[in-house]
Amino acid sequence: MLAPDDLAEHERAAVETELRTLADDQFVAAERYIDWQVRGPTLEADIAVANIAQDEYGHARLWYDLLERLGYEEAELLWERPPDAFRHATLLELDYAPGDWADCVLRGYLYDTFEKLHLESLEGTSYPPIADRLEKVQGEEAYHREHTQSWLDRLTEGGEVPAAPREGGEAARNASDEPVRRLQAALDRLYPHALTLFEPTEAEQSILETGVRTRSLADLREDWLAVTTPFLEGLGLTVPEPSLPDVRGRDGSHTDDWESLYDELTYTYELLGREPAKLMAPPDEVEG
Amino acid sequence: MSDPLEVDEPRYCGYTEYVDGPEAEELPNTGAGATGIEGAVWDAVASVEDPEMPVSVVELGLVYGVGVTETDGRTEATVRMTLTYTGCPAREMLTGDVREAAASVDGVDAARVELVWSPPWNLSMVSETGRESLREFGVSI
Repeated sequence: MLAPDDLAEHERAAVETELRTLADDQFVAAERYIDWQVRGPTLEADIAVANIAQDEYGHARLWYDLLERLGYEEAELLWERPPDAFRHATLLELDYAPGDWADCVLRGYLYDTFEKLHLESLEGTSYPPIADRLEKVQGEEAYHREHTQSWLDRLTEGGEVPAAPREGGEAARNASDEPVRRLQAALDRLYPHALTLFEPTEAEQSILETGVRTRSLADLREDWLAVTTPFLEGLGLTVPEPSLPDVRGRDGSHTDDWESLYDELTYTYELLGREPAKLMAPPDEVEG
Repeated sequence: MSDPLEVDEPRYCGYTEYVDGPEAEELPNTGAGATGIEGAVWDAVASVEDPEMPVSVVELGLVYGVGVTETDGRTEATVRMTLTYTGCPAREMLTGDVREAAASVDGVDAARVELVWSPPWNLSMVSETGRESLREFGVSI
């Protein structure tokens, strides 16, 4: 087991990089989820997404907490961190076309499925502080998967795409094709970015050798494909051929959407002249 | 791969390192039977309520343990607690209130709160008194 207070240089790099990708993924996912506040298709959906975002912020906070224990301050980790130092997958930073609920639930499904596998691969971690908080995170993630899966089932009526026009003619057929059409468009757009979830960082070898994570991202990708492909096909969608976008996320290269999101989320901090909030308790009084 | 929705055997975290306080405790813990300064700290912490509902954090089962140590004549109290969910927005407020409550006890020179996440809090950790308070408030539990 790795001792948090006594990490060798390469161990520290492995722990830190894995924590950053974990934390950044969650944080950016939450930031995009809240684009839907007051804009959800139903009140229930709006509240559900707010809840999911709150969970993701909570999870991000748990991982950033561990980075703080390694000596970083919150501002270094987020508000004053250059945008190209963030390690999240590009899937999570993409903007939504207005009203594109299909994108929201599909993106959620693709990410949540990855997260489940990722967290499971951390269960046997050699870094105890990560193991310590996994179960809490996993319990909350289960609700996220329920949400996205049930929406996807609902939108595609359990996956039955009519083979022939129904009674009622063209209009009826088109009505039930619409969700599938939108989901397919979202899938085509999101899929390459979803594959950046599995892009290794420069510390990937180290992360595996030190046992911080027990399975490689390449292996997780295989598992993810084995789960998502039949599920998406079962909904009546065509899974695109694997391909990657020009930007890879985990190496610091991101889309323009990330630049905009980053500017948005750091706006107030910058406006206040980078002054820390006056009401914060001194860090040494609260351990988290 | 097991689905977290299916609960079979509990998986216990293999890592426990407590600087202060007992090695392990039975949960939920309400400090029943604690005496002296430790008992006083439990009493003080029990007065801290959830910000949204009129129920004590101790009755909610959020306080996993209290430890009191003496070093060079200095008495330090440590409260080990968790939160109902990871995204709890009252985190700073609750941990601050608990720390202040512990520090207010006669004989305590310094207090700290250790925020822990294992084992994960769940509804079964709410005490009977806590359940009554919640029901009175309108939460069905």
